[in-house]
Amino acid sequence: MKKVEIFLLSALLVLTLTCFSSAQEPEPQEQEQKLFNAVSISPGLGFEYFSRTIGWDDDEYTSKLKSLFLTLDAEVELQRGIYVRAVLGFSSSSYEALVFRELPVSVQLPEDYIKGFILGAEVRKKLIHSESLRVDAFGQFYYCYGIKKEWEVPDLTVEGTVEGRPTWMRAPVGLIFTYTGYETFFPYINLNFNKLWGKFNMDEIIQDLTGREEKKISGESSFCISLGFTFKLTESISFKSEASFMPYKEGTDFGILVKAIYSLD
Amino acid sequence: MKGKKFIFAVVLVPFFLFSCQSSRDSSFNQKNFILVNVANTYSSRGMQYVSDQVLVKFKPSVTEEMREAAIASYQSTTLKRISGIDVYHLQIPEDVSVEEMLYLLEQNPDVEYAEPNYFRRIAQVTPNDQYFVDQYALYNPGGVFGPPSSPQSGTNRADIKAREGWEETWGSDSVIIAILDTGADFNHPDLDDKLFSNGYDFINDDPDPTDDHGHGTIVAGIAAAETNNGEGIAGVAWNCKILPIKIVDNTGWSDVSTEIDGINWAILNGADVINLSLGGPGVSQSEQDAIRAAYNNGVVVVAAAGNDGVATYYPAAYPECMAVAATNSSDERVTFLNTATDPLPWESNYGSEIDVAAPGDWVLSLYPTSLTTPPFLPYTWASGTSLSTPHVAGLAALIRSIKPELSAEDIMDVIRYTADDVNSTNYAGRDDFIGYGRINMERALVPIIISALNPHK
Repeated sequence: MKKVEIFLLSALLVLTLTCFSSAQEPEPQEQEQKLFNAVSISPGLGFEYFSRTIGWDDDEYTSKLKSLFLTLDAEVELQRGIYVRAVLGFSSSSYEALVFRELPVSVQLPEDYIKGFILGAEVRKKLIHSESLRVDAFGQFYYCYGIKKEWEVPDLTVEGTVEGRPTWMRAPVGLIFTYTGYETFFPYINLNFNKLWGKFNMDEIIQDLTGREEKKISGESSFCISLGFTFKLTESISFKSEASFMPYKEGTDFGILVKAIYSLD
Repeated sequence: MKGKKFIFAVVLVPFFLFSCQSSRDSSFNQKNFILVNVANTYSSRGMQYVSDQVLVKFKPSVTEEMREAAIASYQSTTLKRISGIDVYHLQIPEDVSVEEMLYLLEQNPDVEYAEPNYFRRIAQVTPNDQYFVDQYALYNPGGVFGPPSSPQSGTNRADIKAREGWEETWGSDSVIIAILDTGADFNHPDLDDKLFSNGYDFINDDPDPTDDHGHGTIVAGIAAAETNNGEGIAGVAWNCKILPIKIVDNTGWSDVSTEIDGINWAILNGADVINLSLGGPGVSQSEQDAIRAAYNNGVVVVAAAGNDGVATYYPAAYPECMAVAATNSSDERVTFLNTATDPLPWESNYGSEIDVAAPGDWVLSLYPTSLTTPPFLPYTWASGTSLSTPHVAGLAALIRSIKPELSAEDIMDVIRYTADDVNSTNYAGRDDFIGYGRINMERALVPIIISALNPHK
C-alpha cells in the first residue's frame, strides 16, 4: 500500500478516535444508554457522479474513471456533535481507455459501464458551532466492488473473450465550513484530501491462450474542494446538493452529489 | 526486360535450401529508384508548407474595409475566412514566395500574425529508409512496385500492417533472433550494427559465419535490418538483434546434424527466436528433439513451409515449430499459377501443419556486399517461403520484447490468432494453405478495443 494511503487511513482512524475521545465523556451508564438511544438518526437517499483522472502503469498513462452511484445511508448522531454514517449503494463505473498490455493479446477498454456495489462509512465531528458558522471534521471511506463483466476480443481468427472485475476505494479526510446564518438554507464549503485508488483484474481466454493482468489505478488528484448547500424543506426533510472540483497537474476533475435526508429526531 | 539497364540476377538455391528467387536490377541506383519512389517526392522537395498560401490574422481593431484593402494591396485573394479564430486563408501571387509575403505582412501594423499554411500528416510510424516504399510486405499502398523491368502490382493494404505495429513497439535490443542459414554479411551498412555477436560457423567450424551465399543475409535483413537509418530497407524488428549461425554451405545445402548443432548453440547463446528458412520432406526424430528443446526453453522456432507445392516440409511440420506459408502482394497464397511468369515458378507448400502465412513473393531485402559488384547495390528482390519466415520471426521478436513473460507457445498462439484470414472467401477459418491467415502486426501488438459480447454467438 502506498504511503499516502496509509497516511489517509491513519488520519481516518485518528479522526475517529479523536471524535470519541474528545467528546465530553458521559458516565458509563449514560454512554450505554446513548449508544442505544442515539441523539438522532437520519436516513438518506443520494445520487453521486464523479469523473476522475486515474493514473496506471506507474502513472505512465491516464484514463477517466467515471462513476455514478445511488446510495442509501443512515446517519446516526451517537453523541452531541458526533455522527457516524453507513452507506450502501449500487454503482456503475466506466474506465475508458484503460489498456491491458500484459495480457497475451493486448486489449483496451471501451467506454462501457460496469455495475457494482458501494459500501461506505463516514465519521464526522462538530468542532465549532457559533451563531453563523459551523465547522466539522470528517473522514469517509467508500469501497466499490464491481461485478464481473465479459467482453469479446474482436477480429481474431478464433473466438476470444476477456472478463474484468474492477474495485476502487475513495477516502477523503477534511473540514466542512457551513454558514448557519439562515434558517433553512445552509451553504457550505468542504475542503479535503481525497485519495482514490483501486485495481482492475482482467482475465483473457482465447482458446488455450490465457492470461491475467491486475492493473493498479490511482486518482491523479489528491485535493478536493466542494461547494454545496443543505436546504431544510421541513423539520424532518432536507435536501443536499454539492459540486466538487479536484485539481490535478493537467486539469480539474469534478463530481456532483444530490441527496434527500429524512431526520428521525 | 526493358533493355540492358535492367539485368536480373537470380539467386538459385538448390533443393534443401528453399529457392529464394531473387532478381537484382543492374541499374539499382538512386536515380532510377526515385522514378518509382512516388511517395518520396514530398519529402525530397523539402516543402513543409503550401507554396502559395499563407494564414493571416488582423488585429481586432482593424475594420472589414481595411482588411479587404490590405489583402488586395498584397495582390492576394481570400480562399476562406476561418470562423472562430477569425484567420484569413490567403492565396498569394505566383511570383511571390511565402517567405517574402510573410515578411511584407509582418511589417504591416494591422496584422497580428502571419504564418505559412503548414502541411500536416497522420502521425504514423514510417521509417525513413530509402527503399521502404518498395517493401510492400510491410506497407502496401497498392499499385506497382518492384524493379522497373518487371513491375509487380499489389492490392492496397495487402501487407503485415508493420507501420501500425511499430506504433506500439520497435522491439528491444535484448531480444535476439538467431538466423540459422548461410551466415550474414558483417559489412553490410544495413546490418552491421544489428548483429548481437559474431555467431558461429558450423560448416567450417569456426567463429566466422560470413555469408558466402546470400540467402542468410536476405533473411536477416527482412527480420531486422537497420531501420530508420536513412538508407536501404526497414526490418520488421527495428531494435532486435541478429545472431548469425551458419549451418548451410555456399551451395545452399545443410543436414540435420549441422542444423541441430546450430539450434543448440542458439539456445545456449540466448536466442529468443530461431529462424529456419530451410527444410526438406524427411521427418527426423533428432531434429524434432532439438526443436522441442528450444521450445521448452522458451525459444520461438519459426520455419519455412517449402516452395514445391507439396506437403509441408520439416522442421516446419513439427508441432513445436511455426510453419509459415507464403502470400503475394495481393494477399493470395503463392501458387504455380500466379508465379507462372516468374523466372522460377513456385508454390507454397500446404498441409494441416501450416500455422500462418506472410509475404514471400518479390520481397526486397539485403544482399551481401562481398557478392555485389558495381553498379549493383547490395539489395535484392527475392521470393520463397524463406522470405515469409523472417517476417514471422521478426514479429515473434517484437512480441517477446513487450511481453517477456509469454512462453513460446503463447507467442505462437498470439501470432496465429491475430492473423488476417485473407482467404476466408474460399476457406473460412484455419485452412491448410495459409493456416490462420497472413500475419497482422497491428493486431498482434497494438491493444485491441474490446466490444460487447455478441449474444448470438
